[in-house]
Amino acid sequence: MSEMVQMLAPDGTYTPDPAWCSHAMTDAQLRTAYRHMVQARAADEWAFSLNRQGRLGTYPPATGQEANSVGAVMALREDDWIVPTYRELGGLLTRGVPLKQFFLYWLGNEHGSAFERELYHVTPIVLPIGSQLPHAVGLAFAERYQGSDRIAIGFVGDGGTSEGDFHEALNFAGLWQAGTIFFVQNNQYAISVHRDVQTASGTLAQKAVAYGFEGVQVDGNDVTAVYAVTAAAAAKARAGGGPTLIEGVTYRMGPHTTSDDPKRYRTDDEVAEWKGRDPIVRLQKLLRARGLMNDDEVAAVIAEAREQARREFDAVEPFEKPSLEDTFRYVYADLPPLMQRQLAERRRRLERTGT
Amino acid sequence: MSNDNFPLSRDELLRAYRTMKTIREFEERVHVEFATGDLPGFVHLYAGEEAAATGIMMHLGPNDHIASTHRGHGHCIAKGVDVKGMFAELYGRATGTCRGKGGSMHIADLDMGMMGANGILGAGAPLVCGAALASKYKKDGGVAVSFVGDGASNAGNFLESLNLAAVWDLPAIFVVENNAYAQSTSRDYAVAVDSYVDRAAGFGLPGVTVDGTDFFAVHEAAGEMIARARKGGGPSLLECSMIRFYGHFEGDAQTYRAAGEVEELRANRDCLTRFAQQVAQAGVLEQADLDSVDREVAALIDEGVAEAQQAPHPSEDQVLTDVYVSY
Repeated sequence: MSEMVQMLAPDGTYTPDPAWCSHAMTDAQLRTAYRHMVQARAADEWAFSLNRQGRLGTYPPATGQEANSVGAVMALREDDWIVPTYRELGGLLTRGVPLKQFFLYWLGNEHGSAFERELYHVTPIVLPIGSQLPHAVGLAFAERYQGSDRIAIGFVGDGGTSEGDFHEALNFAGLWQAGTIFFVQNNQYAISVHRDVQTASGTLAQKAVAYGFEGVQVDGNDVTAVYAVTAAAAAKARAGGGPTLIEGVTYRMGPHTTSDDPKRYRTDDEVAEWKGRDPIVRLQKLLRARGLMNDDEVAAVIAEAREQARREFDAVEPFEKPSLEDTFRYVYADLPPLMQRQLAERRRRLERTGT
Repeated sequence: MSNDNFPLSRDELLRAYRTMKTIREFEERVHVEFATGDLPGFVHLYAGEEAAATGIMMHLGPNDHIASTHRGHGHCIAKGVDVKGMFAELYGRATGTCRGKGGSMHIADLDMGMMGANGILGAGAPLVCGAALASKYKKDGGVAVSFVGDGASNAGNFLESLNLAAVWDLPAIFVVENNAYAQSTSRDYAVAVDSYVDRAAGFGLPGVTVDGTDFFAVHEAAGEMIARARKGGGPSLLECSMIRFYGHFEGDAQTYRAAGEVEELRANRDCLTRFAQQVAQAGVLEQADLDSVDREVAALIDEGVAEAQQAPHPSEDQVLTDVYVSY
């Protein structure tokens, strides 16, 4: 297993890696990546604030992980499949999914996750851990079976790599040489479980060894490295060369969800250390150094992203909220007695307390 | 006659042979009896694979645990489960290991550290993690061994267990009994790595592949792994390259095997024949010793079947007992 791929250092110095520089980002791509990463960050921060204002339910922040999500999706073709987790806002925005649709989902409306297939090629957001990866293998397999050269990328977290679904998906992909990229967002924590107590494997990338294909570890806070490694994996997959596992090493700067208190399981020093490796700050340094953006332009991108977050949420906030009954619908044709009792009990509570 | 350099004592060699022969004769007899229609349910035979279970279980005591598979008769016998009780269980009789209510795929004997055969593929591995964690916690020196076939080695629950055992550094051994077929699916159709040692590497585990038809190879490799686990050295994966003499289950037409494949295996890769040759060459056991064991085993098998056939069925009022602790 080779060392972690990195080209853009935390201080903004850019050193192209000869092994990967055939997939270097153009100036225009760097500007685009920056815009999407900032959009994702602004929307994320606004969602957190909305939750605290009581206007949005539980939300899983992705702040700090933008380079992985944006860099990986930018490296794909627009009609390649994206199979996301619940923490891939950057990738969704990169693909063009309207932010308001994402907000709609977190407002509890399932339509928010029904991304128009032919437009975006993004599967619905999933909450079970790892269950989406077999789908990413199936999609890639189906595309090739139908004579298409479309590939699929499946995202998963570091915790998800301990799930049986993850391993079963990797086995099938290796065996069938499916055009699937497995992208592990290693943000160091599975809720409160640190990566070091998640697995004895030296890297998460090396898990690919068990299934007969290549794994690459990349600095997940370096969008140029994420892009290059994913672009190489995509080219290989498209040419029929089979799957790749990419481990993007990053950090979840916020809590697991708005209901989590990370201070209980990690130190302020650790958070501060990772803050110094912020993917957005790093890219901004490169853009300034290359004269691709000046202070005014940076400020404009950030202001526009914040404005967009507010505007898009306002557009969907008035939508009808899911009802109590919705929670019980769509599972059983006839509600069993136990569920009927639960619904009645919940109704009484709603009448009594208003929540 | 003696050979001081031989790794096992005469008693140990006789025990190993007796175990392998008992498994073989048990399975050959089940093959015959099942065909008569007297045995209810389903049976999967371990014939041809005896050296693996025996080579591993020689290192285990009652304080150690194992979790078996759907093909569990060999593991049971090697772990010391009563052969007569097993026959009775297969016949569904009240005198059976599980009072006749488990059958072939649920034989368990917790007193012997045998946590059960298992009809669910890969499901024994999480149990072994639990048993190994308990031993580690209680510091009782116990080791737990999980068995899966090559097919179940792709099941999520098995792979989750490898990770858990590695990260918790459990005294657990994961044995992959690679008999080349997952029911009818050849191993090459189901696994992309060349060796299970590569798979272990993905989890940060040491792994070794041995010829599962060579008792001494299995015994040596398993001995190292088990001793290491017992001393707190953590888990390992042992791949045994195996063969099976019969089908996946009794009644399997085996249309996926080449003509003459089984005959060739029986003629050239029989682990019992190999064992007999090895001990003869080393001059540590004589043919008379083996013959005497053979007679002993044959008598035991005959008695086991006869007694099982005479034993009573569980009574109607036993239908709901021994299933749930409370319900």
